[in-house]
Amino acid sequence: MRRALYDWDEGAYLTQEEGRVIDELEAMLRPPALPMAPYPAKSILLASGEVMVVREATVDEVDTLLKIVQPLTWLDRDYYDIVSARVFAELLAWKKYRVRNEYCLVGVIEGVLAGIVNGRMFDQGHGVSYHTLTLKRGLRVGAHLFAAKMEHHIEYLGQDEVWIVAESPIGHRRWMIEYPLDKKFEVQHELGGAPSWVLSRETYFKAKPRLVSGTRPVPAELLARSRPILKPDLSAMLVQIEDTLEARL
Amino acid sequence: MARTVEAAKCKACGKLSYPTHFYCAACHGRKFEPVAIEGEGTLLTWTRAYALPLDYVDLFITLGIVEMDMGVRATGRLDIAEPQSGTRVRASLGTVREIGGKEVTGLVFTAV
Amino acid sequence: MREVAIIGAGSTQFGRAQWSLLKMMCEASHDAIADAGIGDRPVDAVVVANMGAARNNRTAGLASALVDRLNLFPAAAETVENGPASGATAVKAGFMAVASGVHDLVLVCGGERMREVNNFEATEFVSYLSHRYAEYPYGVTLPALAGMFARLYMDRYGVTPAHLAMVAIKNHANGVLNPKAHLRVGLTMEGLLTGPDAAMNNPFVAEPLRFFDCCPVSDGASAVLLAPATMAKQFKKTPVRIAGIGQATDLHAVHERPDPTELPAVRLAAEKAFKMAGLKPKDIDVAELHDAFTILEIAESEEVGFFPKGEGHKALERGETQIGGKLPINPSGGLKARGHPVGNTGVSQIVELVLQLRNEAGDYQVPGKPKHGFAVNFGGFGNNVVATVLARGV
Repeated sequence: MRRALYDWDEGAYLTQEEGRVIDELEAMLRPPALPMAPYPAKSILLASGEVMVVREATVDEVDTLLKIVQPLTWLDRDYYDIVSARVFAELLAWKKYRVRNEYCLVGVIEGVLAGIVNGRMFDQGHGVSYHTLTLKRGLRVGAHLFAAKMEHHIEYLGQDEVWIVAESPIGHRRWMIEYPLDKKFEVQHELGGAPSWVLSRETYFKAKPRLVSGTRPVPAELLARSRPILKPDLSAMLVQIEDTLEARL
Repeated sequence: MARTVEAAKCKACGKLSYPTHFYCAACHGRKFEPVAIEGEGTLLTWTRAYALPLDYVDLFITLGIVEMDMGVRATGRLDIAEPQSGTRVRASLGTVREIGGKEVTGLVFTAV
Repeated sequence: MREVAIIGAGSTQFGRAQWSLLKMMCEASHDAIADAGIGDRPVDAVVVANMGAARNNRTAGLASALVDRLNLFPAAAETVENGPASGATAVKAGFMAVASGVHDLVLVCGGERMREVNNFEATEFVSYLSHRYAEYPYGVTLPALAGMFARLYMDRYGVTPAHLAMVAIKNHANGVLNPKAHLRVGLTMEGLLTGPDAAMNNPFVAEPLRFFDCCPVSDGASAVLLAPATMAKQFKKTPVRIAGIGQATDLHAVHERPDPTELPAVRLAAEKAFKMAGLKPKDIDVAELHDAFTILEIAESEEVGFFPKGEGHKALERGETQIGGKLPINPSGGLKARGHPVGNTGVSQIVELVLQLRNEAGDYQVPGKPKHGFAVNFGGFGNNVVATVLARGV
């Protein structure tokens, strides 16, 4: 017997009919989902000797990720504010079933979050790359995770191309040159409608030996230590450019 | 592709230099005549440079230092997929950079 | 010529500045002046070291601006721009001012805020050091010159990529011990070269040089206060004497040098400095060498006379240049880990040596009470070099 729904605004239980209408609306607001293959975790031996596990995050981990990301939404440099704010929104929307076919990959070092990448499937053949948020700098974590994201779209989700833009023109230029990316300016990227760049399947496989790294499978104990996600020490990053009277020299 | 890339030959003592200096290093002369840097030479060293300034959209460019048979050394772009120090190369001219929207002509070396 | 002492030293954090260029320089200058404890005595002259303020920070006449901010007017002031050798060149200018008797108290302050522009712009700006007609039009950057130099050097002397990685690993380990260093993450040979993901951790920047063979783009400021040695005895700390300083230049275009693996400007500058100091390379207890690229630490250690030509990498292998070794090189982390605010570096090398000779370097202190320190500040691609010998006490 289904439990009756409670309307928190009115403070009363809903009738069966009202409950049915809510369920229909909810179903309408929830986008239909395509089947998505999982991303098999891999481990990367970083320059420091630390081992980063790159694995798919699960929806129950979103709250932890939101708490880690939120302070960065006030950091007005290197595009951290806008990227963090958008990642926050994307992960929250994923949790609340308001984005179709979203995935999120995390890079963790002994569980401590080093970076987040995310995106979604637009349809079976086309993927949309959302963001790359690096928390541990200086070890090419962002480059590793962006490549993992492309690996997921092309090899595991089986797509033909990925639409890409970046908030940072300099960051974007690096990938544009490095893969390289093709222009597909007739496609507006859903992050603000900017003309999209594209990574095609063909370019991905040509670039793969050079740009995609990692070892599979991840040994069971290492994978076990990649959960739960732990908060990194962001104090060094959260240093704002001073704009006090004493600083205006 | 109007210009050649030129070494300077001292009118007084005949010494070749590239790049040009104000005085001839050998005799302190100040008058020079241009000598085209052309022909063949030996590749002394090379690199593939990846971190490039904004003028470039290439992933990398290949650069090298060549000991030219005509008597000077020169730095130039290499149009060689797998360069090797010690191999023979030939000089030609090509667009090597865009500066302020203008194409710049310079030495491009190919394998012999 | 009077003896010249360093009576105060100060430095900001290196890395990504939260402060403006002038504020960083004020902080470093304040620390150096406070460190000296000169009380009410006026500073007679200010020499500033900087390479990019006009282009990157929209500031010309940087020394005049610094004098204003520190309320040091009407002191004499000048800005020294000598590429990456600006720092030690400014120290040399300050040294000459005091040694000649023209000035007594001279503040030498270096500063650079590279990260006000993006990495591509920074690369472009530094590439202006190359020869305008023979190198620059080809897209030659400083890493590209270093890459071609490294290939020749490695082919001739048997230096391997592993040796280059050893320099990076050593300097990064030292950086971890230096609270002011830009990069404070340890590196491993597996992560850099031998492990499964090394190619992507450590991609080529200018073959054969890789990402971790090149120093970072850093912001930072440092300062030293110079005084005649006779005056130095009145102040708080053990003075450190500038025992010798030498400078030399070389051909501009790397390809025009008779042997591009040789660095005659380094050798000559070092010879002059040692001659003035009346010391020899074997007298040196600690050195800060200009490792903008890992290969340069090895090459410079040979040119200055610490090791025979072609043997520097072997000494590195034997651990002789570690903090606890026979001749510690770059105990502060060097340019590689401490960072390279271009115009400032020469000054920060002197600050690091002063700390070492005073036994104030904390976790990265070289043991054994070092008495003589040595620095090489390398401008352009080795065509303008300043070497300095420091000695504890006056």
